[in-house]
Amino acid sequence: MNIFSLFLATAEQGTSEVVPASGPVEQIGNQLHQLGVNWPGLIAQFIVFFALYLLLKKYAFGPISEVLEKRRLEIETSLTNAEKIKKELAEAESTRKELIKKAQDQAALMISEAQKRAAEQGEKKLQEAVAEAESVIRKGRESIALDRVKMLAELRQEVIALVVDTTAKVTGKVLSIEDQNRLKEEAVKQVAA
Amino acid sequence: MPSISTFSFFAEASLPMAAPVLFKLGPVPVTNSMCVGLFVVALLILFAQLATRNIQSVPTGLQNFWEWIIESLGGVLESILGRELMKHTFAFFATIFIFILANNLLALIPGVGTVGWGGVDAHGHETLIPFLRGANADVTVTLSMAIAFFVMWIYWAFKFNGVGGFVHHIFGSKAKLPGVLGLLVALVFFFVGMIEVVSILVRPISLTFRLYGNIYGGEAMITTLKHMFGNWASLVLVPVYLFELLVAFVQSLVFCLLTAVFTALMCKHEEGHGEEPHH
Repeated sequence: MNIFSLFLATAEQGTSEVVPASGPVEQIGNQLHQLGVNWPGLIAQFIVFFALYLLLKKYAFGPISEVLEKRRLEIETSLTNAEKIKKELAEAESTRKELIKKAQDQAALMISEAQKRAAEQGEKKLQEAVAEAESVIRKGRESIALDRVKMLAELRQEVIALVVDTTAKVTGKVLSIEDQNRLKEEAVKQVAA
Repeated sequence: MPSISTFSFFAEASLPMAAPVLFKLGPVPVTNSMCVGLFVVALLILFAQLATRNIQSVPTGLQNFWEWIIESLGGVLESILGRELMKHTFAFFATIFIFILANNLLALIPGVGTVGWGGVDAHGHETLIPFLRGANADVTVTLSMAIAFFVMWIYWAFKFNGVGGFVHHIFGSKAKLPGVLGLLVALVFFFVGMIEVVSILVRPISLTFRLYGNIYGGEAMITTLKHMFGNWASLVLVPVYLFELLVAFVQSLVFCLLTAVFTALMCKHEEGHGEEPHH
């Protein structure tokens, strides 16, 4: 027999006014009565417990549960937002890289085009310079040629005049127009030769 | 069988099994355990009021402690009842757990259940009548909670299953077999349902006496040891009090979890299976 049974037996010993039980329901009723259970006390205790339940439900669990639910939603929203921001950040990073790559490609293309254009320009300028140089040389040559022709013409005139003068001085006579013309023609022939 | 002297010893040293009536309030006999119970109710209401009077998003102090209790208990109950059912029933199970635990802990304060006046029973034996007595060491208190649970259980059973679903849950055949075999199985399920009805009716009684027995047993043991060891009782009672501390917590949890399991067995539906009851 365990200690609880002993206590039970003791209590049974200690009760003097046990109503003789006719059936199991009466027996249970008697035993509950021995344990101090009575309807008014039971109803009062039931009301007290139920009132506590309703009060705690309304004023303690309700507001706290609301706060917890609100906080749970806030955390959930924050996590969703954080995930969204992370995704957006990744997208922005991807876009940035794409833009940089695009810009680099564009820059490379521009540089390449510029280099090509510069080369073309250089070539063109070179050709123009060459053409100009050739033109200058040609003009120089033409000028030289003209100067030479002019100089030769002047020289011829000088030589003719000198021949006529020298001839006049050497011969001591005044040369006639025909002599002068003949001497000029001979001098021209000599110079031309 | 114990000897007459053993009976005599326990009769002199132990607590009366029924809580003594202090006075009458109309037709209601007010016992010392009822007083302790009312004190615990007042204490819990005061505590809840202090914890929730200025609710902040970032909790501090009592609100933090209250939230910790609710969240911890909610987690345990959710694993038994599922989220939806837990939301509907949480307040009741939390009240049961907190009320029983507070009563059990208060009963462990030295003096409660052990300081009182001497009475004489019908056999002329001296009996201790304590000024204060743990509320759960009174069958009236534990029975009232068990009845409250039974009432709520019936309410939830009808709410979540409907009348037809409730009857089908208990008596209905779950096998769905055709022909004579199906009829036989249905008959078997009907008899199983009858046994289930007995099991359901016995639940409040088992809940009542499990809690009462454990708490009364503990208090009676402390009283007995105090009488047995006299001045040395303090040394002997330290491990007993530690053990009773464990019992206080375990019995609160057992009462709360058993009632939750009984509710889950009747009301919990498998997720994604509509109204089909969980077996």
